[in-house]
Amino acid sequence: MDSTDRMSKLATLMRPYTAICRHDLRALWQSRPVRLWLAATVVLTLLATLGNWGKLQDAPLIATLLFPYLVFPWFFIVIALGVTPVSGSQAETLADGILSRPVTRYGYLLATWAGRVITVLAVFYVVTVPAIMLVTLAKRPPAEDAVTVYGIVTTLGVVALVLTLIVSLGFLAGTLLRKPLLAAAVLIFLWYPVNFVLSTFSLEELSPISLSQATTTQLRRQWLGGDDESKTATNKEEAEALLRLGTNLSSMLFGGQTQQSKPGYFEPGKFEDFSLVRVTLGYGAGTLIAVGLAVLCFCRRDL
Amino acid sequence: MEKETGKKQADAATDIPWAIRTEHLTKIYAQRLIAVNDMNLEVPRGSVFGLLGPNGAGKTTTLRLLLGLQRPTAGRAEVFGRRCGPNAVDVRARIGYLPTNPKLPGHLRPIEYLDLLGKLCGLRREVCKPRISTLLRSVGLLGATNQPIRAFSTGMCTRLGIAASLVGDPPLLLWDEPTAGLDPSARRFTLDLISELAKTKTIVVATHILSDIDQICDHLGVMHEGRMIFIGSMKDLKRRLCCDDFSLELVGSAENIERLGCEVAKQEGVESRIDQGGVLHVKITDGRSHALALAGVLKSVGAGDLSLEAIHSGRNATENAYLQLLQEDQSHGFDR
Repeated sequence: MDSTDRMSKLATLMRPYTAICRHDLRALWQSRPVRLWLAATVVLTLLATLGNWGKLQDAPLIATLLFPYLVFPWFFIVIALGVTPVSGSQAETLADGILSRPVTRYGYLLATWAGRVITVLAVFYVVTVPAIMLVTLAKRPPAEDAVTVYGIVTTLGVVALVLTLIVSLGFLAGTLLRKPLLAAAVLIFLWYPVNFVLSTFSLEELSPISLSQATTTQLRRQWLGGDDESKTATNKEEAEALLRLGTNLSSMLFGGQTQQSKPGYFEPGKFEDFSLVRVTLGYGAGTLIAVGLAVLCFCRRDL
Repeated sequence: MEKETGKKQADAATDIPWAIRTEHLTKIYAQRLIAVNDMNLEVPRGSVFGLLGPNGAGKTTTLRLLLGLQRPTAGRAEVFGRRCGPNAVDVRARIGYLPTNPKLPGHLRPIEYLDLLGKLCGLRREVCKPRISTLLRSVGLLGATNQPIRAFSTGMCTRLGIAASLVGDPPLLLWDEPTAGLDPSARRFTLDLISELAKTKTIVVATHILSDIDQICDHLGVMHEGRMIFIGSMKDLKRRLCCDDFSLELVGSAENIERLGCEVAKQEGVESRIDQGGVLHVKITDGRSHALALAGVLKSVGAGDLSLEAIHSGRNATENAYLQLLQEDQSHGFDR
């Protein structure tokens, strides 16, 4: 079998799932909440940019633009988008209309998850990228800042990862609890306290509030370079920090003493050992676990 | 090699004489409610199989187990030799499902909805589009293609559901109460459509409307409290049960009817019973000729001061057979 045949077979196999994803995307873009959200993000971003135009340097201003996505208020919208697809009365329509057709449950769930994630990230990027370009390229009254392209790209990537995690948690909560309002309420009441808990147990790598504070540091970062010795030292620190992260997470879940992070980490204005790898792993693993559990739960559910 | 294996499996599937088979299929909800109880069922290929039973008998649950929308607590179900389950795509590709009062995505228009289903069935555009227009014409929705589904009446939703079940041109149709909520003409249309489709497909119709079953089905399964209490052909059912009963609707005084009941009961091999509406039910007990018994009873009616309004024979009444089955099942008690 040559590669053309394989591609054609794969395309046939994927046709139902791309159809579901496209259907979901279209339904979302036609829905009033998503359109209102898009309009509101444009307005808020515009207000934040113009309000701080002459006051803040590039990095703090960009961090201000990203704050609504990480902490408040867009978090609620993202949760609501994640919660709805497989809960409440939607489940019945699903069973009658789509899941009684030749599609797998996990395929359906992953396709709708992809649709939600694409919608959320599209709104995020469509609004923030032009604003960030405007902020960084325009000549403004504050002193010039050392914001780098690498810093901007990685920061936007990390925020996108957080948003993906929130959609995935919404999916998980909606699948587990079945009632969309209950799932959203539970998630909201868990999410904010969890930041405090994570901080207490030195698990800042998983706290969007801490991440929001650290974005200014990341925005000014250079692309990794330097000699081999410093790279080895960095890798060792990363490994130690990852080990600490794992230990603290298990301590939080199963009890036990936690290891404190190095002093100075995530102190306001000082985030020198902010680690992109740890943050990416933290949110990436969280996303994978949430999606995996949602799929497992949905596949075992009676419709 | 892969192709050969696939071909062998396909050949094996076409050799199988039944479309559906279940073995000890059981579904218990939350360890509390037994919806389907140890069901063994074989639906012959090419038949119109009526799944009959009162509300809550387990008909819909059985269909949803076949579709893999629900997981069996015990036992197994197969469609054309393939095991059913939540991820059994190849099984669902062979099934067209029509739920009772289908819940459809209200924001879509009929063509958009059917197009989506066509894509889910893996149909190519050049096959899908003509089929959609044919189906919409067949179910009489061509004039409503510009309306969103949320504006549809119950009957229109059912007709769209029928079209949706046929998009993939599956060899097996599972239709759950297809005539529920339909006006007489739409009901007639649906029954005629089933008869037409039966020429090429296996059809399972779950319903509690006995007259529908009478008109369209050649095989029947009767469910009661989750159990299959009868499986066979329609002829078997009618032959097996109530074959020599008849009832007479009489007009006259209660005393005269009572007297007639006593006289009839004295006849050899005949039992009688009178209900409150003045209907005399006659049961032939010892193999006596149906015609002779009826002649004797009519003679008694003529002798009394009564007029005869109607005679109903139990020979062809599916309803009587069905009710008798349910009564028998209930009277079996622990033996069930």
